[in-house]
Amino acid sequence: MQHVAVKRGAGHPPAPRPSLLGRIGRALVPLLWLGPSIVLIAVVVLWPVIEMVRTSLLKFTSSGTSLGFHGTGDFTDLFAESDLVPVLLRTLVWVVGIVIVTMVLSLALGQLLNARFPGRRAVRWAIIVPWAASVLMTALIWRWMLDNYSGLINRVLLDLHVIDKPVNWLAHPHQAMVWMMAVAVFVSLPFTSFVILAGLQTIPADVYEAARVDGAGPLRTYFGITLPLLRPAVLIASIINVINVFNSFPIIWAMTGGGPAHATDTTTTYMYKLAFNDQHIGESGAMAVVNFLLVLVMVLVYLRAARWREEVR
Amino acid sequence: MKRHLTGAIAAGLTVALGVSGCGKGSSSGGDDSDGKTIKFVAAIYDDNTKPFWDALIKDFEAKNSGYKVNLEMVDWTQMDAKVKTYVQTKQVPDILNYNSFSDFARDGLLYKASEVVSPGTLSDFTPTFVEQAKYNGEQYTLPFISSARLMFYNKDLFKKAGIADPPKTWADIKTDAQKVKKAGAIGYGLPLGPEEAQAEFFSWAMNDNGGWVDASGKWAINQPANVDTLNFLKDLNKSGLTQPNPESTDRKTVFNQFAQGKVGMAIGGPFTKAGFITPANPNLNFGVTSLPVKNASSQPNTLGVMDVLDAFKKNGGKNKEAVRKFLDFFYQKENVSRFLSKEGFLPTTKSAGDALSSDPYMKQFVDALPTSKFAPTSNPAWSAVAGAVKQSLGTSVADKDPKKVLDDIQQTAQKAG
Repeated sequence: MQHVAVKRGAGHPPAPRPSLLGRIGRALVPLLWLGPSIVLIAVVVLWPVIEMVRTSLLKFTSSGTSLGFHGTGDFTDLFAESDLVPVLLRTLVWVVGIVIVTMVLSLALGQLLNARFPGRRAVRWAIIVPWAASVLMTALIWRWMLDNYSGLINRVLLDLHVIDKPVNWLAHPHQAMVWMMAVAVFVSLPFTSFVILAGLQTIPADVYEAARVDGAGPLRTYFGITLPLLRPAVLIASIINVINVFNSFPIIWAMTGGGPAHATDTTTTYMYKLAFNDQHIGESGAMAVVNFLLVLVMVLVYLRAARWREEVR
Repeated sequence: MKRHLTGAIAAGLTVALGVSGCGKGSSSGGDDSDGKTIKFVAAIYDDNTKPFWDALIKDFEAKNSGYKVNLEMVDWTQMDAKVKTYVQTKQVPDILNYNSFSDFARDGLLYKASEVVSPGTLSDFTPTFVEQAKYNGEQYTLPFISSARLMFYNKDLFKKAGIADPPKTWADIKTDAQKVKKAGAIGYGLPLGPEEAQAEFFSWAMNDNGGWVDASGKWAINQPANVDTLNFLKDLNKSGLTQPNPESTDRKTVFNQFAQGKVGMAIGGPFTKAGFITPANPNLNFGVTSLPVKNASSQPNTLGVMDVLDAFKKNGGKNKEAVRKFLDFFYQKENVSRFLSKEGFLPTTKSAGDALSSDPYMKQFVDALPTSKFAPTSNPAWSAVAGAVKQSLGTSVADKDPKKVLDDIQQTAQKAG
């Protein structure tokens, strides 16, 4: 009965109104295909978000026992932390700095990878390596290279007479931030330059030919044609990078642990320390919600930007 | 697209609020309804730990048919996160090998010690440790292993620097460190990084009559003696007598340098020899002496550290019998002393004490135990205080004002309870 209704409804446009059951059945059919991914999203994305928000609204003792609803108490505690503002500002510097440097370097690297030269395949593979290696492993290797006593970097700089005694790079907040940002750029480059490379390959050759005929020099061609046509690739790469860099935990955790004190923390490591050093699970949950909202704002910016792209086209 | 996302978030928030109202008691985390199977979470001290427990559990299961112990080994670096998750998700193990208990006891999660071991086992614990295992006057946890701290010094460096005797006072430390520095090494290795700043600091402060609490048990972290202690350590750092950047140096770094003969003095424990010196440099000519005192006429104290076995209430007390059987089994003299000798820790029971005193290196630590002072682990706020100390204390010997740093930690302590 149901089957027939569906068939009739689908086959003959001016058919009589299908029965109620038939209509429900037809509406449910797509669920067969959508169901698994809806369940997946619910379990993997929605559930943790719900748990996170719930945590930020409860009062926990230091052992992890819940004492029930706490209202906005966890948020009040969080906003009263004197370390919060410096950590937020540092996170801003961290994200903006890394993404800008990554984008500039990737534009150059993408151009290089797009050019024809002997050994291009080898160079392309070499650039993928930092991507394939685990970020934690990369961070640990850098930490040992920067070690005060047995680090490779001190050794090289001493031998070159750039410095006259070993520098404890990761112990000084400013130096440590610069090194960690360098490592973050290093691990972000492969993905970004390959997105740029993909973008470069979508630019048709005849546009360049037309430019050449019109007598445009290399600089003019780059800024007049390549860069504007790369906009979608640059946009996607930078927004994905912003989110990745914002959430980056292993580099800071492995290299300085956010210390001394909170001098090299970003909001992500600070959130962890609130829970496991300060024993404030609720407050850490509140920090997680703030982080989530910040990421959400970035996603909305992304969506708006994506629509902006449609309009341009 | 944007509207969908906003809708999803709104729906999520609504559900979250709904769930938070009725989210209690959802999971009791028990696959062991018969009460004869228990879960034991043990900390990994070194490579010997797992084989020890595997063998012990096999032996236990053979002698107590029907009972089963599921072992889970957790690394110390993961332990705090794991334990928080167990408690928060109501999936606590039956027995947990950990370094704190008082906040569990306060929240009513633990059995009293007398409920989970026989009177014979209970009376075998050394009284010093029983005191540390009490919350509100009742013993809630079982002392498992202990440790003490003493001053290690490099005899070869001392000879080279022309120092005859091991250091006794803070003044000795400073003059000896200056001499060792002239001889081309680091005078004193000062680890005030996040790994164990609280232990290093307390080892000094207790010998200047400082400490965490006053006589009445109230937090007294910013007391003058503690400020004085930090000023002394800061002076060592600023005079270039320590390794660079004590605020971000961890204990393992100091001891690796000490093992390589590059550090004159450092405070270590029983584990220092087997864990650091023997693997790197077994021929290191070092000595061990008491912790230095501020005032030459006062008696040196040592830092006592104790790890414990916490027994959690589960399934309305059904697990009690199995837990008691297993704990009594472990606390037999030969099992405990086998664990201690394998791992290089000190005993918490009277019966296992003698076994270790035959080793002259270990004997120094066993002998120091009666003078040991402990961190206030029986105060539930201690873990939050220790967390704050680990994060920020080190900055006081670098660029921050010691008094200000201690004031902040004191505030944290008072807020935590």
